[in-house]
Amino acid sequence: MNKVLCSVATRGRYFTTLPLVLNAIINQTRPVDKLVIFDDNDEPQDMRSEMIYQYFFQMLDIKGIAWEWLFADKKGQHHIHQRANMMGYDWVWRVDDDAIPEPNVLEMLYYYTEDCVGAVGGSVLTPPYMPDTSKVTGLINNIDSEPNIQWGVIKEEKQVEHLHCTFLYRAGVCDFNLGLSRVAHREETLFTYGLKQKGYQILAVPNAVTWHMKNPEGGIRSETKKEMYEHDEQIFRNILQYRDRTIVVLNCGLGDHLVFSHVLPSIPNAEVFTCYPEVVPGKSIAEAQHLFGDIDHWNVYKKMDQWKWKDSLENAYRKLYL
Amino acid sequence: MIIISPYSKALLSGKQNPKNYPYWKELIAMIDEPIVQVGIEGEEQLVSDFRKNLPITELRKLIQECRTWISCDSFFQHLGWDEGKKGIVLWGVSDPLIYGHPENINLLADRKHLAENQFLWWEFVDHQNERFVKPKIVLEHLKE
Repeated sequence: MNKVLCSVATRGRYFTTLPLVLNAIINQTRPVDKLVIFDDNDEPQDMRSEMIYQYFFQMLDIKGIAWEWLFADKKGQHHIHQRANMMGYDWVWRVDDDAIPEPNVLEMLYYYTEDCVGAVGGSVLTPPYMPDTSKVTGLINNIDSEPNIQWGVIKEEKQVEHLHCTFLYRAGVCDFNLGLSRVAHREETLFTYGLKQKGYQILAVPNAVTWHMKNPEGGIRSETKKEMYEHDEQIFRNILQYRDRTIVVLNCGLGDHLVFSHVLPSIPNAEVFTCYPEVVPGKSIAEAQHLFGDIDHWNVYKKMDQWKWKDSLENAYRKLYL
Repeated sequence: MIIISPYSKALLSGKQNPKNYPYWKELIAMIDEPIVQVGIEGEEQLVSDFRKNLPITELRKLIQECRTWISCDSFFQHLGWDEGKKGIVLWGVSDPLIYGHPENINLLADRKHLAENQFLWWEFVDHQNERFVKPKIVLEHLKE
């Protein structure tokens, strides 16, 4: 059976919504295999001395659920999610620290995890605002003209192109964009759309309701600097602009370019950013960095390390881009 | 004519690149053919005909003119392969199954010498002579 990691990033909510979230996770009908809490507080506390948390930790132990309390590095929740993404689990259920899942949510989301599926999300309801999303397409092209499908009660399974807030995703396939600012605006949209671009289905499914008790205090996204949002929005728009192209970033050596040149003819509609345009023609690496923020997820060496690669460099490029 | 490309890219730390073949002088002394060395300014000259900093188009032409070539694991082994000219690659710590091409003659003393992690910086790997095949073995393959 696939292993599911539940990841919660928290900041400023030790004594408000976080305990509700943890209780909800502990009492899922399909238990998580591990719960990891990323504590991003400026002044983290040792919660083992708090009675309510003492109970939570005991409940986890009694139920046989592994758990870990990790201290995050305050670079934004996208860095936290990327850590969870790479912890070696098959699936990661990301839950915000003010999003309270009903007891059956993970069981329902997990039900849809077929081989072709990259992410599954249910309704994320924030009363009293509950729009009718029955006609929402969930397509990235319509992101400016329709509400997010998860904001309303989802009545039937639907393939979409992006999710937000909380969802279950296939781990280790797609990276979070670490070029975003600390507010990580659009991080989950970019991530789930990235899974879609990798060829996986993104599903919005019924009967999996999470109550989003939006809390103006605390939160992992508590930064309010307008420039950060603008920066992230620009990266988001740039990525959308290239959505019909296969972006190739060759921030590597001359030999790597020579090997890649044998893969390039197989890549449909490639938009190349290159260090050696005399070998592989394309735009500059500086332009890629400016457009997309983080270019490390196109680093073939990092990927080979993650994949524990034993095959050829040429085939690593094929895996990365085809 | 044989091309030799003796050196892999210099490391920022100044340490010797662990991919550099240590027995070039002995090997060159055993070869009875004209040799052209290619490389960049600052690398040790090993033969009288040392062509430095050639653009890639010139390197391609030179490869087409040579009988064969010998290189450590550097960009040159990929260039020779890209040109369709079979050559000899002298491996030590990097894995020919990952970075090599089966069209070449890939000489590795023993897989036990390969770096544990093939994907980190080579700065973290020490250079050791015993990781490489001896010149006599290279010469045998050069005669093929």
